[in-house]
Amino acid sequence: MRDTIQFLVNGEPARIDLGPGSPWRPTTTVLQYLRAHPEYRGVKEGCAEGDCGACTVVLAEDGTDGALQYRAVDSCLLFLPTLHRKNLITIEGLRATDGALHPVQDAIVRHSGSQCGFCTPGIVMSLFALYHTAGVIGRHDVIDALAGNLCRCTGYRPVVDAALDSCAARGPDHFSAAEPGVLRALGAIPSDDMLIETETQAYCRPATLAFALRYRSIKPEAIIVNGATDVALRVTKRHEQLASVLDLSGIAELRSLRVSPAAIDAGAGVTIEELRRVATGRIPALAEMLSVFGSRQIRNVATLGGNLGTGSPIGDTLPVLLALEATVSVSGPRGERAVPIQDFFTGYRSTACAPDEIIVAVHIPIPPQGTDVRAIKVSRRKELDISTVSAAMRLRTTGNGSVDEIVLAYGGMAATPQRASATEAFLSGKPWSRSTVEAAMDAVANDFAPLTDVRGSAQYRTLIARNVLLKFWAATDGKEGAAS
Amino acid sequence: MSMPLLHESAVGHVTGEAQYIDDLSHPERLLAGRVVYGPHAHARVVTFDLTAARSIPGVRAVLSARDIPGENQVGPVVHDEVLLADDEVTFIGQAVFLIAADSDELCREAERAIAVEYEQLPAVLDLPSAMAAGALMGPPRRILRGDPAGAIGKALHRISGELETGAQEHWYLETQAALCVPAEDRRMLVYSSTQHPSETQTLVAEVLGWPRNAVEVEVRRLGGGFGGKETQANHTACWAAVLAHATGRPVKIRLFRDDDMIMTGKRHRFLSRYEAGFDAEGVLQGVAIELNSDGGATTDLSFAILERAMLHADNSYFVPDFGVTGSVWKTNLPSNTAFRGFGGPQGIAVMETIIDRIARTLGRDAAEIRRKNFYRAAPADTTHYGQVVEDNRLALIHDRLMASSGYTQRRAAVAAFNAGSAFVRRGIALTPVKFGISFTTTFLNQAGALVHIYTDGTVLVSHGGVEMGQGLHTKIRGIAAAELGIDPARVRVGATNTAKVPNTSATAASSGADLNGMAVRNAIDTIKTRMSAALSEKLSPGAGGEPSRAADLRFAAGRIVDSVHPERAITFDEAVRWLYLQRIGLSAAGFYSTPGIGWDRDAGRGTPFLYYAFGMAVSEVSVDLLTGAHTVERVDILHDVGDSLNPAIDRGQVEGGFVQGLGWCTTEEILWDARGTLMTHSPDTYKIPTAGDVPEDLRVALVDGVPNPHVIRNSKAVGEPPFMLALSVWLAIKDALSSIAGHTVEPQFSLPATRERIALEAERLRRLA
Repeated sequence: MRDTIQFLVNGEPARIDLGPGSPWRPTTTVLQYLRAHPEYRGVKEGCAEGDCGACTVVLAEDGTDGALQYRAVDSCLLFLPTLHRKNLITIEGLRATDGALHPVQDAIVRHSGSQCGFCTPGIVMSLFALYHTAGVIGRHDVIDALAGNLCRCTGYRPVVDAALDSCAARGPDHFSAAEPGVLRALGAIPSDDMLIETETQAYCRPATLAFALRYRSIKPEAIIVNGATDVALRVTKRHEQLASVLDLSGIAELRSLRVSPAAIDAGAGVTIEELRRVATGRIPALAEMLSVFGSRQIRNVATLGGNLGTGSPIGDTLPVLLALEATVSVSGPRGERAVPIQDFFTGYRSTACAPDEIIVAVHIPIPPQGTDVRAIKVSRRKELDISTVSAAMRLRTTGNGSVDEIVLAYGGMAATPQRASATEAFLSGKPWSRSTVEAAMDAVANDFAPLTDVRGSAQYRTLIARNVLLKFWAATDGKEGAAS
Repeated sequence: MSMPLLHESAVGHVTGEAQYIDDLSHPERLLAGRVVYGPHAHARVVTFDLTAARSIPGVRAVLSARDIPGENQVGPVVHDEVLLADDEVTFIGQAVFLIAADSDELCREAERAIAVEYEQLPAVLDLPSAMAAGALMGPPRRILRGDPAGAIGKALHRISGELETGAQEHWYLETQAALCVPAEDRRMLVYSSTQHPSETQTLVAEVLGWPRNAVEVEVRRLGGGFGGKETQANHTACWAAVLAHATGRPVKIRLFRDDDMIMTGKRHRFLSRYEAGFDAEGVLQGVAIELNSDGGATTDLSFAILERAMLHADNSYFVPDFGVTGSVWKTNLPSNTAFRGFGGPQGIAVMETIIDRIARTLGRDAAEIRRKNFYRAAPADTTHYGQVVEDNRLALIHDRLMASSGYTQRRAAVAAFNAGSAFVRRGIALTPVKFGISFTTTFLNQAGALVHIYTDGTVLVSHGGVEMGQGLHTKIRGIAAAELGIDPARVRVGATNTAKVPNTSATAASSGADLNGMAVRNAIDTIKTRMSAALSEKLSPGAGGEPSRAADLRFAAGRIVDSVHPERAITFDEAVRWLYLQRIGLSAAGFYSTPGIGWDRDAGRGTPFLYYAFGMAVSEVSVDLLTGAHTVERVDILHDVGDSLNPAIDRGQVEGGFVQGLGWCTTEEILWDARGTLMTHSPDTYKIPTAGDVPEDLRVALVDGVPNPHVIRNSKAVGEPPFMLALSVWLAIKDALSSIAGHTVEPQFSLPATRERIALEAERLRRLA
């Protein structure tokens, strides 16, 4: 069992011993580690909660196709053990050996894309990852890649121009040349079970599900993380010392992703970004919701299992998974069982997953022809925001246009993601028309009694919940108003 | 002349090699500093015990107000602000104790070990309560011309109303930070992320009880300032200095993001009331405006900010009879402070609301109403405080922008779109800005510089301004190179340091390049005069020939040339080497004070500004009435910077200011709970614009051919004015909402126009329509 992590920093081998006596904890974030080293102070802390991107670094690892895959991540939300078997690329590694700027750096300089410069290293890293993304890169991709990077000076226009310019004609950079060596070095690092036990902390990062389940049965109190973009906040913002952590992000089995004409079957360790890509063109409603899930940096790390496991009433994937009638597979000492998603959320941040069980996979049926699934997220800001209200609808109408089947699922309206049963019942069998829908809007008030909080008043939430019906109707009817 | 120079730190920015306070090499024996604040908006400190905290190994100092060696006072204008709370806390986030320890973790452990007992006192947490309680920060201010009440009474049309404009968090990317290093001989070296090094120096000296010549403040760059580090960087520097003094060791404090947001002040929220009278053509006859600002717990710069709001309540419009009153109210919240625009946005928002309402009242287009009310020929060229609007560009910019933006056709297209759309509406608005340039506190309009030419011909320029991203050092480099006639690559602008240039003003009021650029030129002129005198002799052809005259020497293209005898020339580098051997001084200090300005605060009369900067924007939005979500479809901006010192940097200021204003107008909302706790204390809940909020179709142009003879190289200040152009987005959203009821009902509208406010108002209007 290892308690040392091995990885590369800017291509150079590195190891951190996390066992007893180590100056680092397994829950030390990559940002804290880098900032403690004078040679890596180009990496900035802007918020320590994944909302500004100043700390963005890139992780490169062996992708499925045998090439390196580059992912921008927020180093403030990343625990050290997740670096194992990865190449950590920081801003300091971007210049070529002769000192030449990387094309994305050069473009930002030429386009006057920096003013105070504090956010710039993070922006450069996000664009560097974009530079290493296959395919034609358009404005939409650039905006998406930058959604997790706040800049308070430039107004972004020159940054976007620089991104488009540098990504228009991409050639090999010095990272391309180094790839075979990096792949070899990473391949030589064993992927085995990791268990770090110190006086104050136990951190387990298994390589297999079997080991994870075994550990879970001994340590049911361990906090499960699978990406840790939520749990890391307890360390960075509340300064908690998590006594016991079970980190599932090293388990290859949980990262399986299978697609058939009928369904997407995603392991719990599939990242939100991976799922978004697979959902694109297959389940548009899911893809749309996932594209406004956090930022690229967060989606690259956050997992479907993690989002379900937190059981948050405002988890972005949840209403749409309710509308898609997904099934959650959990595994434990009594074997594996499938839980329909509508039975999965049992209360505020609690789920049907027992203390000795682990979420292993999610089965997401692709809606059949004739079933319309729609989703919407309403938040204060378009990008990188937590929803005030999110909603999803599943609709099948009969030949004469009346409602044959309807599911209306809402987030942010109650302690759990929840269906609007009274509204569903009201609409059932009625014509799917504007007047019925407008009448149904009053039923929503009977389904929910939302709270007022910092993201919105109860009055606003109720109004949105009502209006969303009209938006869904307009969208299915092909009328305007569909745009979010 | 323009100098297309890239930002002097651009390569440092993109490589991460540019250093901020937290990146500086750690001096030996560095300690971490921490600031402890209490949980109550208003409370008496009954008793506290620091012994347990002090006894933790590795904790080097735990200090209270009693341990401050000098004055416990950091009020920048009025001495009403303590560095550490003594017997009373007056807002959540007010510093009570300081800790220095070997690590941040030990600091937090010590914080938990502090025992303190508070007795809660009644707190005032919003403007209406403060106004009801009569909690004035100081006497109200007034600027009056004519008889507004009489003029409004006689006018054909009258409107009145109330407008709330919200607070705004600066959200500089680099939080407040300072590193203080004690040095021999009772000196303190202070590395601070401050916009005002001289004031930081002054206050550090005062809290230590030392003379100012014992404190040296250095600032290389800021990771953003926006006004938030004009006075409120002083606190962090003073806390670190007191801890460094107590421990005899270097201490660094960098505020954690949430602490920064909780502890520091914001843009002042305003509650404003207005009455206006106008004729059948929409021409203003009389206006009366009452501005009320939430000053927070202490004065800070609140009165100067209020004053600028009052001086900008006219925006670009002539009002024959015009009265503005202003009051600052005291609340138990962090002391509100400078923020880009400095009251200007709050004042202008009121006048723009009035104009917008005139258009709706008369069923006319608002851009046309604006044009009619612009300052124009005498007597309609004089502001309510008596300054003549000279070099007025309003009509010129308006006409050019109306044409280039296709406003009239697009206004018709918007109406056509709305006629066929139930749930999505479009809106369009043009708004102008006229912004007065100069500190209204006249004595602040001074600057110093120090220019060295070394014997290899390279130049080091120091000046009093701070580089915070606005490109000041790049502009100064361009100015120095142009004045010396050498390649900008030969010029370096050094870190701002109080030991190099003393007694400087804050880098604020958009004045950085205006004031410091002039001071740098003044220093260079001194050196050039000396150089020319000596060189004219050297270039003169001995006996018989006509001697070269110093006044005829020109510095250009790396050479010094006699313009009368162009064959007589010497390279700059050669000249410098020769002058050194001739024992000619190649270094000089420079100074500048703005001429011809003056402001009688009590009379509300004078010429507070050297000149005005002008700009206009046309914004078009679409609004989803069902959710309140809006998209800025297109923005056209035409802005006046005189002869641009650096078009890329100026455009960056225009766009960056606009987008920051966009945040203030839309997504950025500050919320406190009923106890005075800031609920929006992190970027999780406080939402500044992201890349996706900026319109894809953004057309920014600088006005051609309008040199500004008052200022260095005919340029104009640019930092703040574009911020206010974002009001065009705010009013475009209002225009979209207004269409719901056929522009017959005045939308209830405040600022920011959050999605929630938009959706709720759309719903109200839909029910009325």
